[in-house]
Amino acid sequence: MTLLTLEKVDVFYRDLQATFGVDLSVGQGEAVAIIGANGAGKSTLLRAIIGLTPVRNGRVVLDGRDITGLRCDKIARAGVALVPEGRRLFGSLTVEENLLMGAARARPGPWTLAAVYELFPAMREVRYSLAGNLSGGQQQMVSISRALLTNPRLLLCDELSLGLAPTIINDIYTCFTRIRETGVSLILVEQDTVKARDVSDRLYCLLKGQVTLEGASSEIRMDAIKAAYFGETAA
Amino acid sequence: MSLLIAIINGVMVGGLYGLFGLGLALAFGIMRVVNIAHGEFIVLGAYLGAALLSVMPLNIFVVVCLVAIIAFGVGWLLQFSLLNRLIGPNPVPAMIATMGLSIIIRNALVSVFGTDIRAIDLGSLQDAGITLFGVSIGILPLIIFAIAIVLFLAVGALMTRTTIGRAFRAAADDFEILETLGFDRRKVYASAMGLAIMLAAVAGLLLAVRSSFSPYSGVERLLISFEVVIIGGLGSLRGSLIAGIFLGVVQVVGLKLNPNSGPLFSHLAFLLILLVRHFDVTFLFARKKI
Repeated sequence: MTLLTLEKVDVFYRDLQATFGVDLSVGQGEAVAIIGANGAGKSTLLRAIIGLTPVRNGRVVLDGRDITGLRCDKIARAGVALVPEGRRLFGSLTVEENLLMGAARARPGPWTLAAVYELFPAMREVRYSLAGNLSGGQQQMVSISRALLTNPRLLLCDELSLGLAPTIINDIYTCFTRIRETGVSLILVEQDTVKARDVSDRLYCLLKGQVTLEGASSEIRMDAIKAAYFGETAA
Repeated sequence: MSLLIAIINGVMVGGLYGLFGLGLALAFGIMRVVNIAHGEFIVLGAYLGAALLSVMPLNIFVVVCLVAIIAFGVGWLLQFSLLNRLIGPNPVPAMIATMGLSIIIRNALVSVFGTDIRAIDLGSLQDAGITLFGVSIGILPLIIFAIAIVLFLAVGALMTRTTIGRAFRAAADDFEILETLGFDRRKVYASAMGLAIMLAAVAGLLLAVRSSFSPYSGVERLLISFEVVIIGGLGSLRGSLIAGIFLGVVQVVGLKLNPNSGPLFSHLAFLLILLVRHFDVTFLFARKKI
């Protein structure tokens, strides 16, 4: 069953067109990766899905309901959550206060404070520290947990691996097995194409705002990704 | 001994100055709105209280509560209907709107209440006093100071212990992310402005019991509010209170030395602090976020 469908979506970043007629779908419980170079329109697409950036043309449908043009907080309460690029924790709030903000307007569901502390036990030790004082890896755990606490049906993750050490990236992605067990659908935006292919069911490649490749992650060859990523004609 | 009394009175007035600054700092810290009408809302609180008391004799606590509720509603509506449309990366449109609003309120007060300088009279409570360690202190100033302290503590608890208070602080950090967590930013802002105007109006009412006011008092009150914010820092409750008390004490002691000085001495003290800051002397309280 399809949870999210994008139909011919055009999004603008200020006056520049960032995506051109993007069609994309995410099934219930499915993990979809979006890869592409800097400026390919990946982050803008995520912002458009959750309503932070308006969709100029096209439609966004969540579980049969047209959410195009809906206000961000309403889309969030309909079950979409974002782990933003650069984590963007509330720096003057403590870790626990950040988590409480996620839980405050939450839908009913499996994720509670206790559940996210169990998912990332390291967070418990820093729960009363200011979020701004944490290391990058710790911040990423808090950012993921804050989004999970809203009990989303669709979790949008923007560049989870950005600026983190490889071992920490592996730790974080390991936890996604647990997260996916709850039935949540994922969209992972990644620059690390190998990682993106490994952790996803399906994969889209964006080039200059257009989908240049789409398919099951296990079936796509690396050279096809390379061609779609850089825009070379496929050999 | 009279100097001691002046200091005590200064502390009590200063508690209210601290509240003036706190309201202004909340609006700027959370919404980035420089509320030029802040002084007029302070005066409006005084007129509202005076009007309520002229209709029926009420207990001071009842008047404070009524003014607080009305002022919260006014602030909420102001933000929701007007300022939410004007805020953005550029702070100037909202600032100009509040500047216009300050002129409207001032002139409305003149046409409704006239330009007379007035004060709120609470009858017998006004003159009641107690003697502590040989110093006689009015009951009323004590009550006023107690209300100011309670308000500071209540705002502190609101900011750290309630969802809306945490949402205020989170909105100041990153309002987009707050929206992605399901919060309606327009309502969070409206509540924050409601709180800011409420603090201004209640403090204005309480100050009116201690000193006189006219429709033109707003500018002077706004100036004090800005001085409190600049000395005490934007995000610090304690900073606002200490800065308010500092300015209050300097002003009342200054009046003791020269009864015609008005607020001159507190402005001079403010200038002195600006100079000290300019030459980079570390000050008493760090400016940390709320």
